[in-house]
Formats: sequence, structure tokens, C-alpha cells
Amino acid sequence: MRGWLAIAACTLMMACGGVEDSPSPGAGIGLQAPDSPLVTLRVMVETGSVDDPMGRNGLNALTALMIGQGGTNTLSYGELTTALYPWAASISAQYDKEVTTIVGEVHRDHLEPFYEMFRDLIVTPRLDLADFERNRDYLTNAVVSTLRGNDDEELGKQTLNALLYAGHPYEATEMGTEQGLAAITIDDVRAFHAAHYTQDNLVIGVAGGYPDGFLERVEADLAAGLPPSEVTGEPLPVPRALDGLELLLVEKDAIATAMSIGFPVEVTRADDDFYPLMVANSYFGEHRTFNGRLMNQMRGLRGLNYGDYSYIENFIQDGGSTFPTPNTPRRQQFFSIWIRPVPHHNAAFALRQAVRELALLVEQGLSEADFDATREYLINYSKLYVQTGSRRLGYAVDSAFYGTGFFVDEIRDRLSAMTVQDVNAAIRRHLQADNLGIAIVTREAEAFRDALLSGEPSDVTYNTEVAGDILNEDEEIKTYPLAINPDRVRVVPVEQMFVDVS
Amino acid sequence: MIRFRLPPAMVLLAVLSFPPTVAHGQTTEPVFPFPVSVFELANGLKVVGVEYDSPGIVAYYTVVRTGSRNEVEPGFSGYAHFFEHMMFRGTEAYPTGAYNEAIKRLGADSNAFTTDDWTTYHTVASADALETIIELESDRFLNLSYSEEDYRTEAGAILGEYNLNFSNPISLLRERLHALAFTSHPYQHTTIGLLEDIKAMPEHYDYSVEFYDRYYRPNNCIVVVVGDFDQAELERLVTDYYRDWEAGTFEPVIPTEPVQTGPRTEEVTWPNATLPLIMIGYHAPAFSVEAIDMPALDVLSQLLFSQNAPLFQQLYLRDQFVDVLSGGAVDHRDPPLFEIIARVTKPDQVTEVRDAIFSEIERMTREPVDAGVLADTKSAMRYSFARGLDSPGPIAETLAHYLQLTGEPDTVNRVYELYDAVTAEDVQRVATEYFAETNRTVIVLTEEGQ
Repeated sequence: MRGWLAIAACTLMMACGGVEDSPSPGAGIGLQAPDSPLVTLRVMVETGSVDDPMGRNGLNALTALMIGQGGTNTLSYGELTTALYPWAASISAQYDKEVTTIVGEVHRDHLEPFYEMFRDLIVTPRLDLADFERNRDYLTNAVVSTLRGNDDEELGKQTLNALLYAGHPYEATEMGTEQGLAAITIDDVRAFHAAHYTQDNLVIGVAGGYPDGFLERVEADLAAGLPPSEVTGEPLPVPRALDGLELLLVEKDAIATAMSIGFPVEVTRADDDFYPLMVANSYFGEHRTFNGRLMNQMRGLRGLNYGDYSYIENFIQDGGSTFPTPNTPRRQQFFSIWIRPVPHHNAAFALRQAVRELALLVEQGLSEADFDATREYLINYSKLYVQTGSRRLGYAVDSAFYGTGFFVDEIRDRLSAMTVQDVNAAIRRHLQADNLGIAIVTREAEAFRDALLSGEPSDVTYNTEVAGDILNEDEEIKTYPLAINPDRVRVVPVEQMFVDVS
Repeated sequence: MIRFRLPPAMVLLAVLSFPPTVAHGQTTEPVFPFPVSVFELANGLKVVGVEYDSPGIVAYYTVVRTGSRNEVEPGFSGYAHFFEHMMFRGTEAYPTGAYNEAIKRLGADSNAFTTDDWTTYHTVASADALETIIELESDRFLNLSYSEEDYRTEAGAILGEYNLNFSNPISLLRERLHALAFTSHPYQHTTIGLLEDIKAMPEHYDYSVEFYDRYYRPNNCIVVVVGDFDQAELERLVTDYYRDWEAGTFEPVIPTEPVQTGPRTEEVTWPNATLPLIMIGYHAPAFSVEAIDMPALDVLSQLLFSQNAPLFQQLYLRDQFVDVLSGGAVDHRDPPLFEIIARVTKPDQVTEVRDAIFSEIERMTREPVDAGVLADTKSAMRYSFARGLDSPGPIAETLAHYLQLTGEPDTVNRVYELYDAVTAEDVQRVATEYFAETNRTVIVLTEEGQ
């Protein structure tokens, strides 16, 4: 066969807490497509890792998993997966910092029995000890083993998150921390579900070939089965201000050096400036394409690594596609640069080049031609975000979170009316290269730190002779000043990462 | 620099609308429900079109029936994948920057991937961009042109890709499994290639020219188009743009893997934190539209490793000895491995998990599968397939997968007819035949120092 069948009740990583302008019960989202044989349900619960109690980091994720990979009051997880199997139906739980989304997908032939299980998982989940232990072990292993030892790129991204959001509710990974997970009890999970899975804390969406009246039935069932909220979301504090270039180096036996760079921004999809920044970011580092300047300068011309991209909001790739996963909205966002692993001997050069490119973007902005090309690209490309009913529904739910029009329509309308001056003004308002968090996953991290702090040039080695203009620019890059704040430089052994929050 | 190509073309046309078939007295709708149009140019380029209801969107896939299977010369592992990268290095008409700029203007989702058997270049974009896509794709397939400096620079990106893959121990595990299980066939190395060969790539510019000349030929390629387009217009455009592409004659000699005659095992360590991993490989049959063995093994993989399989319920749910357990064989042109992977939650349970897998396999050789369970399994496979056909890209990729195996678009429905025909006896027989101890290779990976 083409590939192994996926285990249906799979889990992704994603998040939330009380956002004021979410739709009220009864304002669900229906995208009915009578010809479609598939039906997707997305129930976004506005609770995430920001709602984890002190010392219980991971509680939201674990509660989500007890739904996405757990049983109901009448069916054990094993019985439930056995029932779903002949239909190749799936129920999964995504969890992130601010929202948790339960996603069900089924062929319409089996919608009725499937829906009853889907509903029961949300309203009356089993929350038993067997599901608890299995899912807690899963999350603990995901932090202690997978994140620390099996994926340096994700480790770099999570390290950047920990650096940017130290002391902030975003600090812990969405999966939690080693100590937080160890402290959670089954009673914590039951109390968390009761407090946060409430009738007025949901956005409900249905797409595909469902019958008339189905959306209203889902809304009524969840309203009847869940209690009203007794807790309200806390306002998020402002992230701490970065002070120069702050480095967090993670020491491990890495095959190459993985780096992520970033800083918090005060812009989300709900803000006018998001859209010009989206254009600027696409020009600078569109995900997994050769559109971005970073990609062309670092990989295309120099072959330093496999890819170099940038983001104006938290970005999780949706499976094997290049598109962002829906249902990971946040009230606060960050700008970031992702430098995929670079051979150790070229890593310092690559870091200087990325920071220098960011400074050039801030200083020079986009030309009229670059703006025109990027705007045209985004207007066309964003249409591809929503090729399936499931993804269209996901984006519609996100738009409800942000209180905007449908995201893809917003992109089209706002970019159509935009000028290059709008973009460059937004860059000047929100982007900068002076105060950055820099996460570095590498071996011999102390030597790497010392080399950066020494002020010595950072050499680069190529496989081939390169053109004179590149070599000339390299001389500037090798000595490009990095304003590293020596008081904000730490080297941490990987086994000490994600033990607890600061 | 490299370049090529010439001659004329004419068009052959066929439209396939898959009829319902009869299996076990019941009429079964074809699993691939969309009408397919096929035509072929005189130079051998086959073009497969599926007009699908996706207003304003079209997927354009070019399948090259070449992958790491074709890397028969020592020292050149990873070359099919490397060459995939070079296809983005431009032509005289569209140098790299101009090509990227053109793709960007279209707002296209454009990329490529390489497997053991095939390489695919895929673009999903607005339907009104179809002619531009055809122009760009035909240009690089007919007129690729890159400098030795560009070639050597791209080798750095390949090393980068290897590095990012190998921060995950599963990459090491799979590399070692294939190295141990195969002694002659190119499936001995993984698609990314061996590190020493990747490091030597910058010195092999001339081989890249040879590789292009051998394999990037119309009679070794298939174009698949799915979505919102007009079939007659597609035929006109493809004929215009590809007619001068010259057919090739190169036939690779792929070594045959000798029968494995005894179990093989190896233990490897990982320098960073990891749970123990077990990977088990059994030599499995090549893809076929006639023999029942491969479909029966696919059914067997579900009976062993799907979420409702007794083994999965035992190890994952009841005992919680594993947090990953899966297995199966991906369709290959030559006999591949049926691969099983388990991630063990406690280091001292490796032997227990391995033996539980062996024990369940042994049970499948003794006990015929229950009729109801077999029916549920076939149902799951059909519905899973149907769920994947939700937009032009996945539909094109599904067709492309089967086309690279046989060149025939009706293969997809034929395979699912075979699945319908699998019996409990077939499952029992292939379990006995392919899961013999002498056909088995086991790699165990543990954290260094544990």
C-alpha cells in the first residue's frame, strides 16, 4: 500500500484562555457541502497551557489527550478505537498555548454513530487511571526523550520560546514540563475538565456533507452537556523586554547546529499591521519556499544548510504540507527566524548572516518591485490554505477567535489595498535586530559562546569556489557586529531543559 | 553546463471511466471514483488527466520513474534525491532566480520529493496558471542548465538535509536496517544516501550530467494533472511544450537481492536521550497487480498493528510497554522490506516487546483471522483511501504512486480489487511464508550508556 495507515486517534501539538470576543453558544460555524462524502467537526475549547496551574505544567495537554486518546463514560479507549476502525474515522486533540481543539473526521456513511462518540468524549470523557497513566507517560517521554534527544530543530524552537517567555504564561512547552507532568494527578485532570470544558468556552464548527440541522444539534448537545463557566480567562502579562542579543545555548551531542532567533511582537491577525508584516515576512523568509531572501542568501547562494525561514506568528506546519496548521491562535505573537541545522564550523557565520539580513530588512525595507511580487504571491498562495473542507473550517474557527473576517478573505482584501509604504512603515514599527532572543543547540556550546563573545571574525568554508561578490559580502558578514549582552548568555545542558518553569 | 533535447510528437488518446466490479457476488464501486483521461506523445511521455471539482485550482505532478533504486554504482547513493535538488537550478530561459520569481508570481505551492523508486515534482496553483506551469516544467525537463559551482553549492544543502534527518534516531535505525538486510540491491541504502557519499557529491558534477541524460526522458516520466482544467486544452498544451523532448534508451541493471538464509541482528547506540527503538525487517514481495501476496501482507499489517489489533491493544493500551508501534510494507517495484517499529517505554522491556511481536506473528501463522475482523480491516482500508481523496494534490499524488509502479492508471482500482479478494487463508499463508525467522533482520537502538 502507499503507506501505513495512520493510527486514527493521533495527536498533534498545539492551545488558550478566555478571549473576550468569541462567538456565543449558538453561533457555531457551518460549512455545509452536500456533495462531499466527508464530515469534519472542530470544537475549539478556549483553554490552553496558559491555564496550567502553578506546578502543574502539562495539565491542559494531558486533559486534551484524555479526550483525543481516551475513552468515554460508556466506551474504554480500546473499545472506542475498535469501533472507529472500520470507518477509518479519527478523533484527535490539538493543544497549544491558548486553545485546545478536538477534531473529528468521518465518512458521512457513519456520521451518526461517530458523532455520539465524539460528543461523549467532550461531554463525558472517561478520565480513568489507565488513560491517565498512558497519556502522562506519553507527554513525559515527548519532553524528556523526544524533545531533548530526537529532534534538534524542535528543540531549538522550544528553547527560543523558553528564552522569550521566561516568567510568562507561555514559558512552558505546550506539552508541559518534566516536573509539572510528574505532579499532576487524575483528580487534577477531572477538575481541569470540569472548569474549562464549559458551554460558553467553545467555538463549534462543522464542515462537509452533513445533514440539515446537524450543526444546531451539536451546539445544543454541548450546551446541554457542559456546565457554564465559573472561571474567566486572565489577561496575559506583557512579555519581558529583551536586552540586546540574549543567547541560550543548549549543550548536546548534536550532529549540526540548530538555531532559532526571535522576539515578541504586539501584533496578531486581529491587528491592521499584521497584514503588511505578513508581506514583509514572506519577502524575507516564506516557509519552505525559495521566495525568501534568507533562503536565497543562505542556502541558494552559499549552501549553508537545508533551509532558512521567518515567521510573523507562531507557525506549525500542517503535516506534510507547507501550510500553517489551523487552530493554534494566540493573543500574543512573536517574530522568529528558523535556521535549519548548519555544520558546526559554519554555524557562527550563519548566525551573523541571519542577524545581518534582519537588520538590512529593517533598514531598507522592500522595494516597490519586491512588494508587488510578494503581494501577488500571497493573494494567490493563501487561496491554497483552504483546499479542503477541514482546513477551511479550521481557518473559519481561527477567524472567530481573532474576531476578524475569514482569514483568506482578509488577506485578499487588505493586501489589495496595501502600498509598499504601508509595509515599510509596519516594519519600522514592529521589527528590529537589536534585541533578540537567540537559541542555539550545539555541541561544545561553551566554545561556541566564547567564540561569539570574543569578537573574532566567524569564518565560512564552502564546497566550491564562489563568486567574487559573494566573497566580498562574506567579509562583511564574518565581522558583522553582534551586540551580545554578556549578562544574558547561558549555556544549559540539554537534560536541564524543560525540567520546570523559571 | 548541461543541456539537451529535440524531435516531434503525435498524440494517442484514451479515456478510462472505471466500471463497478463484482467481487464475491457483490458489486463494488471502484475505489478511485473519478474518470481518468490518458494520452501519450510519440516520444513516450504519458499524460494522465482527472477533471475534478476544485474550482480555480489545479495540481500538476511530473513523475520520474527513478529513485534511489537506480543508484547502482558504488559511491553514488543519494543521487536521485540530489538530482531532484538540481532540477531547481534553472535553465537558460529561466535561470534559478527567474524560475523562482515565476513560481512566486503564480502563488504556487511547488516542491518535489524522492523515494526509493520514484521522484516527483509537484505544483498546486490557480487553474489559470496551467499554461505557465507547463511552460516552466517542460523547460526544466528539456533544457536544464546549471554550472559546476551551482552543483557544488547545492551539495551543501544535501548535507544540511542529512544533518536535520539524523538528529532523529529513527533515521539511523532505518539506515542500519537496510544496510544489514540487503546485500546487493540498492534498497541497501536509504534515499538520502550514505554520509560518505554525500560528502563526496561536490566532486561528481559529470555524474549529474550523466544521471540527467539517463533518466530525465519522456519515456521514463508521467505527467498527472488533477483539478479545474479542460482536457482538450491540456492535450494541446502538453503536446506543444513537450513534443521536442527526445526519448531515452538507458536501461538500468538493478541487482537482484539473494534470498536471506538466516536471521540478522545488530545493536546500535544513540548519543542523546532516547527511548529504546526496535526495528524489524522481513523481505516482502514486489508490487504486483496479479499476485495476492502483497495485498495479503497489507491486510496482515493491519491485523498486527492497527489500533484495534490485539498486539497493539496489548502493548500500547494494556501493558503500556510501547508508545509507538506500527508496521507494514510500502509498495515497491522490487522486493522491499516489511518494516516494524516499536518504541519501548522502559529500557528493560526491549526483549519482552520484541518477543511479543514475534509471538503475535507466530499466532497469525497458526490461527485464521476471524471473518468479521477481516471484513472490518478491508472496510478500514477502503474508507481510509477515500478520506485521502479530498483535494487535487492528494488525488494526483495517489494516482502518481500507482502510475510510477506500473505506468497504468487503472492500477489503483485493480489493487483494491485484490484487497477485496484476500482470504483468511491468504493471510495465514503469507504470514508463514514471509515472516520466517530466516528472513528476518532486527536492529535495536538504545541510549548510549544504558
